Amino acid sequence: MSGATLPVTMPLRGHSRASSLRWFLRKNPRMLVGVVLLAILLFVAAFAPIIAPYDPIKVSVPDQLQPPSIDHWFGTDDLGRDVFSRVLWGSRVSLSVGVISVSIGFLIGVSVGLLAGYLGGTFDLLAMRVIDALLAFPALVLAIAITASLGPQIQNAMIAIGIVAIPGYARLTRGQVLAVRGRDFIVAARTVGVPPFRIVLRHIFPNIANALVVQATLATAFAILAEAALSFLGLGPQPPYPSWGQDINYSQRYLANMKWWMSAGPGIAIFIAVFTFNFLGDALRDALDPRLRRSG
Amino acid sequence: MTQYILRRLLLMIPVAFLVTIGIFVIIRIAPGDPVLTYAGEDPDPAVIAAVRAQLGLDQPVPVQYAAWLSRALQGDLGRSFQTHQRVLDAIVERLPVTFELGAAAILISVSLALVIGTISAIKRNSAVDLLTTSITLAGVSFPNFYLGLLLILLFAYVIPGHIFPPGGWTPFSTDPGDNLRRLILPAITIATASLAVNLRQVRSSLLDVFGMDYMRTARAKGLRERAVVTRHALKNALIPVVTIIGIQVGAIIEGAIITETIFFIPGIGRLAVQAIPSQDYPVVQGVVLVAALSYMVSTLAVDVLYAYLDPRISFGGAEA
Repeated sequence: MSGATLPVTMPLRGHSRASSLRWFLRKNPRMLVGVVLLAILLFVAAFAPIIAPYDPIKVSVPDQLQPPSIDHWFGTDDLGRDVFSRVLWGSRVSLSVGVISVSIGFLIGVSVGLLAGYLGGTFDLLAMRVIDALLAFPALVLAIAITASLGPQIQNAMIAIGIVAIPGYARLTRGQVLAVRGRDFIVAARTVGVPPFRIVLRHIFPNIANALVVQATLATAFAILAEAALSFLGLGPQPPYPSWGQDINYSQRYLANMKWWMSAGPGIAIFIAVFTFNFLGDALRDALDPRLRRSG
Repeated sequence: MTQYILRRLLLMIPVAFLVTIGIFVIIRIAPGDPVLTYAGEDPDPAVIAAVRAQLGLDQPVPVQYAAWLSRALQGDLGRSFQTHQRVLDAIVERLPVTFELGAAAILISVSLALVIGTISAIKRNSAVDLLTTSITLAGVSFPNFYLGLLLILLFAYVIPGHIFPPGGWTPFSTDPGDNLRRLILPAITIATASLAVNLRQVRSSLLDVFGMDYMRTARAKGLRERAVVTRHALKNALIPVVTIIGIQVGAIIEGAIITETIFFIPGIGRLAVQAIPSQDYPVVQGVVLVAALSYMVSTLAVDVLYAYLDPRISFGGAEA
């Protein structure tokens, strides 16, 4: 905790981006764990068609309701479909909904926040009231209402979760812009006549990016959980396409018959995916928060 | 203080107005014609026109909104397309069930968070603390609908004696014992996610307070550690916790939607979920409106309570 003895690190000319990244990860071991978990998740989602031992939607009546075994690691469901293969394929749905909906929220929320924070005045007042109205809804309730209205489809789930994510980004960005706006380098840029659009993009945005990266990571965790909840309620991808939430819902009817394995695979998969993004978000916050860095 | 509350109430009006516009727009962007849901399969064009006129759907959208808002302000949220019951009656009928479930969840979550969070903060960096921090992260990441199913599996089927039933509801007034038996599993399901957030808040608030000068003073004047923690630390650390509890009303409503579905509990969450597949928009609209208004009112109550509990907060600037 002795901040005075910390060496001052200067970027050297010969240092590559890769070595800077290695240094950063060595300094933040939790980040390393988070990045490894994320890499595994992405690998599984990208190569699901190759890794999955069976076709996730192929019905095989002789194999129905088999408990976990060497042939079927996570068992099979009532239609004889391999639960492990469905879990692997389901990761594609969850991660794509996570990434796309967070991107929707990020683009709109950050743009609104940047404009509201920098321009202030009437735009700020009106934009923030709309954001307040969005915040007045419990997030999942709003997502359910939008998806129910647009129709139960994966694209609509993405849009709904994206809309729900907007207020978080807008509020965070606006607050950060307000904190940065009055600083000397912004005043200097304005004084020498740098156009407002360039000030926002080149001078303000890089200074608030760290906080946004943390928010985006944590929002992805929420998005995956929300997608699973929507699918559980029948508002996500429709059968027979594999989706973790929908598969858990489907398994409910066999709970009394003790066919626990039908929900175990998707349940644990949701937990691991959400945990990965929450863990990575926490680690990123610790690594990127200047206050924590100074004290550490 | 009164002025502060009045100002907050006034600020709530435009937001509530925007919320109603939001709900109206969400329902109106729906593809498909609600008239067909209302009038049945293959109805006569004359019947469709009559139903459209009866529902006011032949009017321009702003007129429809004004009419809907005016009726909503008088407590008329329309009638269910499916059951033809008044939406407000359906909600009022089921609200006590959701309220009881939510209150039980908050009680479980807050009491556990206070006990475990305090132990974790006192024994910082110990094995208990590490375990608590891990549980916190796991609790936030665990899907509550899967937790609900696991609890049903464990307590209703695996453990002999069927300690808790797998679902269903008995009102407290009918049979208090059975009501509690049916309440516990769903309440734990909802409480788990908020327990993680509460626990983290209690722990970090206490750690902040432990570093304060008055804590050193309390110890220096010879107070016992228990008195230092309960009378000085916990009392001050609870202020941010109050805020978190208030914000969790939203999480409780969200949890109720999922949990009531799993446990077949006749609350407003299940009412909304049952209305979705049949495109029963007035019911969905009504439940979303009630959820949003409850969330807004609880946030306001927390802000007021926060300002009351912490004398350092200036009433003039607290809403910024």
